Amino acid sequence: MSLVLRRIGHALPLLVAVSGLAFALIHAAPGGPLELYLSNPNVRPEDIARLRSALGLDRPLPEQYLRWLAGVARGEWGYSLMDGRPVLQRITERLPATLELVLAALGLSLAAAVPAAVVSARGRPRWLARVLQGAAVAGISLPVFWLGLALQLVFAVWLGWLPAAGRASLGDGGLGDRLQHLVLPAVVLAAVHAAAWIRYLRSSLADVLPLACVRAARARGLSPRRVLWGHALRTAWGPFVTVAMLDAALLLSGAVVTESVFAWPGLGTLFTDAIARRDYPVLMAFLMLAAAVVVVANLLADLVQARLDPRSR
Amino acid sequence: MTRVAPMAARAAAAALMLAACGGTGERARDAGPSNALLVIGYDREPDTMNRFATHILEDIQGCIVEPLVVADDSMRLVPVLAREVPTPANGGVRLRADGGMDVTWRLRPGIRWHDGVPFTAADLKFTVEAINDPAWNPESTDGFDRIASVETPDSLTAVLHYRERYAPYALQFVRGALPRHVLAGQDLDRHAYNRNPLGTGPYRLAEWKTGEYILLERVTDYWRGTPAIERLQFRFIPNATTRVTQLAAGGVHLIPFLPWDLHRDVARVPGVEVRRTMGNGYEHVSLNQRRVPAFRDVRVRRALWHAVDRTLLVRTVLDGLAPVVDGAIQPMSWAHAADVTGPSFDPAAAAALLDSAGWRDRDGDGIRDRDGQPLAFTLMTSAGFVTREQVAQALQAQWKAVGVATTIDLVDGTAIASRWFAGDFDAFLHWWQMPADPEITLFFAKDRTPPAGRNINYLVDDSLTTLLYRSDAEIDQGRRRALLVAAQRRIMTLVPEIPLYNTTKLDVVPVGLGGFRGNPTNSGPFWNVHEWRFDR
Repeated sequence: MSLVLRRIGHALPLLVAVSGLAFALIHAAPGGPLELYLSNPNVRPEDIARLRSALGLDRPLPEQYLRWLAGVARGEWGYSLMDGRPVLQRITERLPATLELVLAALGLSLAAAVPAAVVSARGRPRWLARVLQGAAVAGISLPVFWLGLALQLVFAVWLGWLPAAGRASLGDGGLGDRLQHLVLPAVVLAAVHAAAWIRYLRSSLADVLPLACVRAARARGLSPRRVLWGHALRTAWGPFVTVAMLDAALLLSGAVVTESVFAWPGLGTLFTDAIARRDYPVLMAFLMLAAAVVVVANLLADLVQARLDPRSR
Repeated sequence: MTRVAPMAARAAAAALMLAACGGTGERARDAGPSNALLVIGYDREPDTMNRFATHILEDIQGCIVEPLVVADDSMRLVPVLAREVPTPANGGVRLRADGGMDVTWRLRPGIRWHDGVPFTAADLKFTVEAINDPAWNPESTDGFDRIASVETPDSLTAVLHYRERYAPYALQFVRGALPRHVLAGQDLDRHAYNRNPLGTGPYRLAEWKTGEYILLERVTDYWRGTPAIERLQFRFIPNATTRVTQLAAGGVHLIPFLPWDLHRDVARVPGVEVRRTMGNGYEHVSLNQRRVPAFRDVRVRRALWHAVDRTLLVRTVLDGLAPVVDGAIQPMSWAHAADVTGPSFDPAAAAALLDSAGWRDRDGDGIRDRDGQPLAFTLMTSAGFVTREQVAQALQAQWKAVGVATTIDLVDGTAIASRWFAGDFDAFLHWWQMPADPEITLFFAKDRTPPAGRNINYLVDDSLTTLLYRSDAEIDQGRRRALLVAAQRRIMTLVPEIPLYNTTKLDVVPVGLGGFRGNPTNSGPFWNVHEWRFDR
């Protein structure tokens, strides 16, 4: 418990520092939310000046930052520069879609990575282990957008088995329909992470398997399967879980490319849109959310590690 | 012996079966386009459904909120909610002795908002006052801020008293009007109207699923007759390749504004055809005379034009999709001067001009120089547009062939606007989408350099400036055209920029969709959506 409190105590100043850095960086990028309007010849500088003043964008940057920070302390995250709606509303309405995608991808990744890593670590059957190692390398090397577009082409256009994009069909939206739409993007997102996890867990297992305790368990007459799953994996699990949790935290913000390719209405597409239009309030909220998720994931990973591996307590 | 493989195989089979058994049983392609539902693959989600406040295109909004007049597919103004377009000839425009003018709008009788309340001149008056009210921030107040007052002698007539002569008066209500009975006294920035606008048009908003789509349903008692297509679904798919994949998979039926580089991919998709419409805009290279001393010499500007083979460019990089144009006013405009043509492709003439301007390759490095300075500049253009990047490279190569060195600078979306607006560039490859009214003063008058306008060539020419301002104050179309033709001739003599090609629009339309007519202006391809139908 004291660990948790201590970590939260450390996290708050960290988050404030992150917010300051994020604010500085996104304002350092050239261009701004209003410049885009200039492409309409009927928009005049007076119109832009009026808007700039109304949105508080003509104040000095430190003042804008402090106003934002004060607002956040009160629980007010501001209004989107794009459509004037509350930032929190824009984020919470996109959150379920991303959670759905990320959890599905996590599940698929784990389901694929653990058995594959075990097979790979044992090295038998040899042909399967080789195939899996090759698949792992391919998974890490293939660009996400290429994989997404390729799967779309094969399964949606050529075979017609699955829908190409979106979250649900019009007028449907039942569980089956939603699952069909979820398959391709979840597989694409899972592929990259599964590949990385296979390699990590495999090498972690490979370190554990020759250990004395494992050989001792074998010597005591336990079956190889029992030794593998009951003992070796339990030991190798710890570091892997840490990595997996940190990875999962990044999945929240890292689904950006996948969401773009599959027109998935989640936080990723919100983020790319907000960047393109320099929607500062939305960007700040999103970055703080991502930072908070990473902090929480770190904390959870440490707690899990402590539980699983008594050596680290 | 591993038990993993069969376990994994069972799990995978179960997942696939579960997915396959969902929804409509067999994974059929989505239903094809029909009068029941037409799905449009749209490239972005609207920021607001308020036509006056949106900063992006108004295609979806335009299906709900109708204009008083619209620019049709030939760029002619036709009345919609107005009974006729006001002109001096029909008494709709009266010039006052004090230098102002009065424009009288007569509305069609019997038009009602979708909630049944009649559409009247009071709505027009309310719209003018709301836009001019400092409490609200519409996208632009252009034109409205020249209106001193509005009278409504009867419910179907509104008289606008302008303080000065304003040539584009006919387009004043090209976005329609705001409903007074809903919005009077309300906070326009936060009102629910921005998410669900009240209109008089052929469609109303049925559902807006944020981040996914907007669904419009038809208004059965629409005043021009019940629209044939019952529902329109605008799906938001920002990724262009995904849009085309969706088209091929049957997930969308129609794609407006297809990027040119995807034109061949779409050609392979059965059941659709690509419609080309000339656009009211032109891609060109702006030459910043303020920043680059070499550009101040008209011989250099003309030489740069001579050095570019625009016909070859259009045939190769653009696949012949767009015609070459020679000026800002496009061929379908009533003010276009067809006999004003530009320098031909002639590298020898380019070389001769550059020689005579004193630019010769004295140090033998292949690049001309003068007084120790090379003839070199940076060509800025937007990142992320394949066609534009290729055009930039072609220009670079063609200019190199006549001894001019060009560096290409790719800059992204919002950053590029602040650059050109500040005049922070040498040469700029881009297009202007011109307004339907042929006013070009904004782009060429000497006092309209940024921030006052868009004269980013920083061209300073007194006779041209005079011609342009006179044309702005000229209400009679015949006389105005004469002035604009003279202006176009003058611009051709000055060669401030290098026009390349017309911004032709490509719309991918399902075969069998009757009534679709592409539109060159920002009225967009949905301007006559009430006439669309599938004959099955």
